[in-house]
Amino acid sequence: MISPAPAASRGLGRLTLDVRQDLSPWKQTAFVGSSLVFGLAISLAILAAAGIPPLTLASELAAVLTAENLRGVLVQAAPLILVGLGASLAFRIGFWNLGIEGQMIFGGIFAAAISIYDVGPQATRLLLMGSAAALGGALWVLLVVFLKRRFRVNEIIATLLLNYVAMYFLFHLLYGAWQDAKTAFPQSSPLRPFERLGDIGYGINSGLLIAIAGVLAAGWLIHLSRIGFYTRFISANPRMAKIVGVPVQAATLWIIAASGACSGLAGFVNVASQEGRLTQSYANGYVFSGVLIAFLSRNDPVVVAVVGFLIAVLFITGQTLQVFYQIPLTMVQMIEAIIVMAVASSEFLIRHRIRWLR
Amino acid sequence: MASALKLVGIRKSFDGALALDGASFESRAGEVHALLGENGAGKSSLMNVAAGLYAPDAGSISIDGVPIALSGPAAARQHGIGMVHQHFKLVKPFTVAENVLLANPRPHFASGIRNIRAAIEKQVGELKFSIDPDRRIETMTVAEQQQVEIVKVLVGGAKILILDEPTAVLTDAEAVGLLEIVQRLARSGTAVVLVTHKLQDVKRFADAVTIMRGGKTVATLDPRKSSAEELTELTVGQTLPLPVRTPHQGGPTKLNVGALCYTRGDGRTMLNNTSFHIRAGEIYGIAGVSGNGQAELAEALIGAIEPSSGEIWLDGTGDISRASQAKRREAAIAAIPADRYTYALAGSLPISDNLAVAQIRSGRYGGLIKLDRAAMRRDAATAVKDYDVQGVRSVGQKASLLSGGNAQKLVIAREFSRQPQVVVAHSPSRGLDARACAAVHQRLIAARERGAAIVLISEDLDEVLSLSDRIGVMSRGAIVGEFERPADRQAIGRAMVDHG
Amino acid sequence: MNLGDFLINWIANAPVTAVPYALAALGLIVAERSGVLNLTAEGLMLIGALAGAGTSLLFVGHPAVALLAAMAAASVVSLLFAVLVVVLRINQVIAGLSVVFFCQGLTGLIGTLAKWQNKQLSGLAPLKIWPLSEIPIIGRIFFMQDPVVYLTILIFIAVNFLLFKTMLGLRIRAVGENPGAADAAGVSITLHRILAIVAGSSLIGLAGGYISVVSVKLWVTGMTGGRGWIAVALVVFARWAPWPALAGALLFGCIEALIPHVAAAGIQVPQYLMLMTPYLATIAVMIWVGAKDSRGSQEPGALGQPHVREERR
Repeated sequence: MISPAPAASRGLGRLTLDVRQDLSPWKQTAFVGSSLVFGLAISLAILAAAGIPPLTLASELAAVLTAENLRGVLVQAAPLILVGLGASLAFRIGFWNLGIEGQMIFGGIFAAAISIYDVGPQATRLLLMGSAAALGGALWVLLVVFLKRRFRVNEIIATLLLNYVAMYFLFHLLYGAWQDAKTAFPQSSPLRPFERLGDIGYGINSGLLIAIAGVLAAGWLIHLSRIGFYTRFISANPRMAKIVGVPVQAATLWIIAASGACSGLAGFVNVASQEGRLTQSYANGYVFSGVLIAFLSRNDPVVVAVVGFLIAVLFITGQTLQVFYQIPLTMVQMIEAIIVMAVASSEFLIRHRIRWLR
Repeated sequence: MASALKLVGIRKSFDGALALDGASFESRAGEVHALLGENGAGKSSLMNVAAGLYAPDAGSISIDGVPIALSGPAAARQHGIGMVHQHFKLVKPFTVAENVLLANPRPHFASGIRNIRAAIEKQVGELKFSIDPDRRIETMTVAEQQQVEIVKVLVGGAKILILDEPTAVLTDAEAVGLLEIVQRLARSGTAVVLVTHKLQDVKRFADAVTIMRGGKTVATLDPRKSSAEELTELTVGQTLPLPVRTPHQGGPTKLNVGALCYTRGDGRTMLNNTSFHIRAGEIYGIAGVSGNGQAELAEALIGAIEPSSGEIWLDGTGDISRASQAKRREAAIAAIPADRYTYALAGSLPISDNLAVAQIRSGRYGGLIKLDRAAMRRDAATAVKDYDVQGVRSVGQKASLLSGGNAQKLVIAREFSRQPQVVVAHSPSRGLDARACAAVHQRLIAARERGAAIVLISEDLDEVLSLSDRIGVMSRGAIVGEFERPADRQAIGRAMVDHG
Repeated sequence: MNLGDFLINWIANAPVTAVPYALAALGLIVAERSGVLNLTAEGLMLIGALAGAGTSLLFVGHPAVALLAAMAAASVVSLLFAVLVVVLRINQVIAGLSVVFFCQGLTGLIGTLAKWQNKQLSGLAPLKIWPLSEIPIIGRIFFMQDPVVYLTILIFIAVNFLLFKTMLGLRIRAVGENPGAADAAGVSITLHRILAIVAGSSLIGLAGGYISVVSVKLWVTGMTGGRGWIAVALVVFARWAPWPALAGALLFGCIEALIPHVAAAGIQVPQYLMLMTPYLATIAVMIWVGAKDSRGSQEPGALGQPHVREERR
């Protein structure tokens, strides 16, 4: 019954893989850094193939970083930082919030509703719009929490699908009741001056202040507060957390609501600063940007601010390339994806030890 | 007789930690050769090397005197090595025949299944087993699954049969039945390796025994010519005295478990009117064959699952079977679960956080706004010292870096920091060496002396017998008999089987 | 237009809208049966759609060539995913999302640079199964579809056989249910998972190619519009079994086919709210699955878990 034994494969050796418990932070940084460089090199190669040689890219990048363009970068950084916070808060407790665009859309819609229905006095109008936007984003994500808890609906699929639902709802408004009668474009009437996020001097938009306030609040929440301590246990071992008395359900709910609120605020910032009105596309391309920023910053709110700024540079460069070289803006998304893949791959080397045994 | 399987100077490390340190082993055809050692001594690792699952860092393997190199489990099988793992390697939704076919591939599926079914029936007949080739694994008992594993290996024509802790999940009677079959297999020319930590199995069934300790093979002897004391000393390294205990006082009832029922998600009833009570200053041991509801009872007591009916009544608090964790904590229930990294520790978080987490709500480390990290670290340093947790470079290091015994001490340090009224301990010494095990037992006795009520759930009958004031035997989700100390081992064994 | 015509038009169109869901879900099932959580469908369908459209435009040949190109292109890109999750063992959700967004970016870039946007493709003529096609109503619905519709049914039969009646299928399912057991039995986890991903992805590519080459007859950036995510949900709905996935795909095909027919029939429904229906229907189906199913979901036992043999426990 037994087949004859094969010739012993002596001397060939065997590749083995262990799970590593610990690696010095220095080596970890080196692995992540080199993979980041690798990812960027691939991106450069693809851009070169698409007709943007590295030198051209370098000069465009230099142009983006000049004082006047930096203003645009900072305006762009605000929503990116906010979606990065939104994603990282949710990922901290292992909730895959991929509904950032939907939450941004509802943030924008709620804020615009305050303007359209002329709610509240002028002086507090912006505050009201911001609060409404945070509420809109939070409600849209809490819908998914409800579906997950009550019907065990997978949040990855639910949040992604609800992005499409939110988008078509926005279209429904923009091609219908909320359409600007003057232009007949699919957009709302412009916000009034006191409903806009303006400059606060030095070319800095007040949207950035909202983002910085968000970073500080999230940083406090995660690093100092009691709920932040709980989140660490909820993500590391939810079953154990429950046994030792961590209020898992309540803490999860608050963190996810905060995540949705951040995304809602990002929608508000885009509507009230860059666009000045509700448009079709103010939330486009933010889901994966949020994932990327959260991933690269290892869900740390303070690092989110730095990474958010760098991704803003990428965004603005992408817009330049679109205008002058007809490179579609989806290129930005592709580079983001390459960076995530490269950095995630470095985790393999951090977590595993590979050996060749003879 | 000539050597069948020979391992020389095997070394193996995982992530830098040495699991096997130059271990050597030799078994012969026609013999049952026991590999004896404590948990964590390296027995399973050594046999996983022989089965081709682990690649050794150094050392040589030979079969029938011919040196070989194993490129993987398939190569080991072709050399006639078959291993029945402690945690069965069976695909649950597959049938018996499909599982056997997976391990013994045939060119075509349909004809392969027919061929395999015939081979299974032949083996089943010879071994007097009772398994149906077309039944799905998930519908079978643990003992039946073990039979499938043995048949699977024998259908492959194994000449060297390795059994890793085969009796751990069986009743005493089932274990004897299995080992007799194994002995018969050896008599017919198979080389059998019996990995175990049970001395009585070795004394009764083995023709030779090799003892492992700390990743090394320390001796090979004839078990019939060596005394139990000699074997124990070689296994443990040192013998430790049991802690002193005062006679039981019989205090007021502290915890009353009444008609507890629980049905698992897959429809199996795991707790079926479980009832017992514990008095203050008493250790109540729960004995039984693994899988008779002990795990679910422990989970219900620590609040990991919610029973479908029944009550857990606690003196001064009332029914806590559906109470929040906060309320349980207030009632000072300490939980020492069997699986530390499932219910007791977050391995990726620092030691200090793991110690502090249970007391965050009490406000000991600051309010909602800001936590006092320095106080956490201070308390952690004290606890690590008080409970003799070894291998701690800093309280900021990950808990998963601790060895099993020290991780268990960490759990106990946290759970005992609030003078518990009730202690729920499930297999508290599983996977620990003799010294750590003694330390854990000492803590349980000390809590008893302080007047706590202690539930000790363990599949290790010796542990239950040596620590308990009273023993309840659990079978099919219910307590089927109670015994006062000093309890009769035979009677307990019968109670475990009669209803199981 | 009377109700009868409306119904026949609608039902006769449903197979065309159902095919992409069916093939994509089947491709995902093959991969997920091997234990890999596969979220890449939305991206790989775009790759298939672009490759199919590009091949049609570059070489005006038979559409079959375009569909083969779609399958091949998606398989090649899926190798990237396979290496990330099987060899490098990175988080399967992160890897899947990255691949989707990578594909969205890449197809947008290539489609624009090559100027393939909005160019009419020749399409695929329906196959009249004479004389059955002459039967009133039934002939129109069942026997005048394009060849891929019939092919899809054959593919389902073949994949079902492969998964449940062959040694290869046995090994793939074993790897997905209990990689430890499969490994001990000498089955290569790496090899079988990569194979399942790449083979399944060819079907996902075909689904995408079908949309651009046969159904819409155009390439438009991002034209799959979330169908890949719906396919992911369909797999959960079908509990990782091929035939229920086909039934689910037909259901979604009917819903999607209804949208243009409602407008064409002159029924007044807000257009954009109507466009939400496939997504809302998917969520409704997920709710139904969750509410109905109190016992195990029957998902492959090791879904989403990378396998490392020499892990110390």
